[in-house]
Amino acid sequence: MSKIMIVDDELEICEFLKEFFIDRQYDVVTASNGDEALAKVDNESPQILLLDVKMPGIDGIQVLKEVKRKNPNIKVIIVTAVETDDKISEAFQLGADNYITKPLSLEDLERDVQEKISRLVEER
Amino acid sequence: MVSINYPEILRFAAQSMVRVKSPTTLMKMITRFLDKKIGVKHASIIVHDPEKDYYVFCDSKGESKLPISLIRLDMNHPIIRWFNKKKEWKNLIKEDYLSQTNINSFLADKSLISSNNQLKKNLLSIKEQMKTFKAELCVPGYYRGSLLGIFLIGAKRDKTEFNREEISLLQILASDASMTVKNAEYQQRLLKKIGELEKSVSEINRLRIRDKDKYLQTIITLAQMVDARDPYTYGHSEEINKLGMLTARQLGLDLSGDREQILSSSLILHDVGKLGVPDDVLHKKGPLNKEEWYKMRDHVRTGARILEKHDDFKEVSTIIMHHHENYDGTGYPYKLKGDEIPIQSRIISVVDAFHAMVSDRPYRKGMSYDSAIKELKRCSGTQFDPDVVRSFLKVIQKEIKL
Repeated sequence: MSKIMIVDDELEICEFLKEFFIDRQYDVVTASNGDEALAKVDNESPQILLLDVKMPGIDGIQVLKEVKRKNPNIKVIIVTAVETDDKISEAFQLGADNYITKPLSLEDLERDVQEKISRLVEER
Repeated sequence: MVSINYPEILRFAAQSMVRVKSPTTLMKMITRFLDKKIGVKHASIIVHDPEKDYYVFCDSKGESKLPISLIRLDMNHPIIRWFNKKKEWKNLIKEDYLSQTNINSFLADKSLISSNNQLKKNLLSIKEQMKTFKAELCVPGYYRGSLLGIFLIGAKRDKTEFNREEISLLQILASDASMTVKNAEYQQRLLKKIGELEKSVSEINRLRIRDKDKYLQTIITLAQMVDARDPYTYGHSEEINKLGMLTARQLGLDLSGDREQILSSSLILHDVGKLGVPDDVLHKKGPLNKEEWYKMRDHVRTGARILEKHDDFKEVSTIIMHHHENYDGTGYPYKLKGDEIPIQSRIISVVDAFHAMVSDRPYRKGMSYDSAIKELKRCSGTQFDPDVVRSFLKVIQKEIKL
């Protein structure tokens, strides 16, 4: 079973997406801030991260940098309301695998996650 | 179970909606109301965003409320498609809402489903989407056939099914809310239009006032030039203005609005037409011959002609035209009589005559105030309006005392 980690400081978003992906046969862990996310990446070794940008403390961009440094194989999808060109290009430069803005289509998100997972399988 | 007084609730809701002008506030009121009064796990509303052309959550309340900033529903989302293209199945499915219960009963209806595989597929995917949104019930709101939004309602907390009354309450709320949203949009557009209109009107007024001020300034300069042509009448216009305004107030003339400005302009500019009178006529020391007299008299028409060109000076133009008419109809240019002569012209006539009598001339010394006053009294009722003379004399007596 593929493991997704959802990182968002909004509890409702974490809970909703957790349920959504559990229903779709994923293993799901959540984190509500950057520190928690980085700690759980080590312990839980998820294959894919859905990562918010604006969070108190360590923000999503820093988490992305750190995660990719630790393990470039982890797929990171940025999920954020921030839509500025420089943030987007910064994220891609740091190795983000996609950048999705809220509000998002759940179908598109699920498709994207599936695609990243299947690429992981190919890469192996 | 709490019994609910639906007519009461509806009346309350309808009244609230009339009061609420902002659609967002209204949506929040509705979700709170559904959450509290009907007792549902969540009450959420999605609305169409006309700019982005998809549907977004504008509010969600209740113990299992949805993350409203996260999700959007595109135009091809099964739930949106169903309500947008409801006509497709209209002859098969009459109900205008979807609930887990009625979807199940449609799916169980062999005669409905067996012949229609697409309908079955659609219903199944809607069922799954409703589950994602923890929605027991979907009630659409339309305005003139277009889908403005949908209420997504979670299961009731007491686990009973929605009854007919509750569903129709939600349908009425959805349709009223749609109406309010449209009204608010319409009002906003209207307000924007009115704002634009007001801006252009005030711009036009600004230009007109600027233009008017410029024009007035030009004419005052001209009047000063007229005064300056004759060193003995220098300052004549200002003096006439002062005495004329005092007389008008003494008379109790209505000087509201732009009337004060009109009278003052007329007093200052009354001899502006003398610009058109040749120097040799204007400054002639002896009596004028007939031809010279015509040229001299023509200054009232010339003055009126200069001023009539600008809309804001039309009335000033008329007043100036008639400032040499006599009260008994013996004046010029039109031999108007009594009230036919504008009151402002009658005032100018008295003030101008008095001022001319008391002013020094190169060939004669000015009359004494007493003699000039006697002359005004003598001509009161013939050359001059007696009321104006009376008021003027009161003014001049106060001035002398000063």
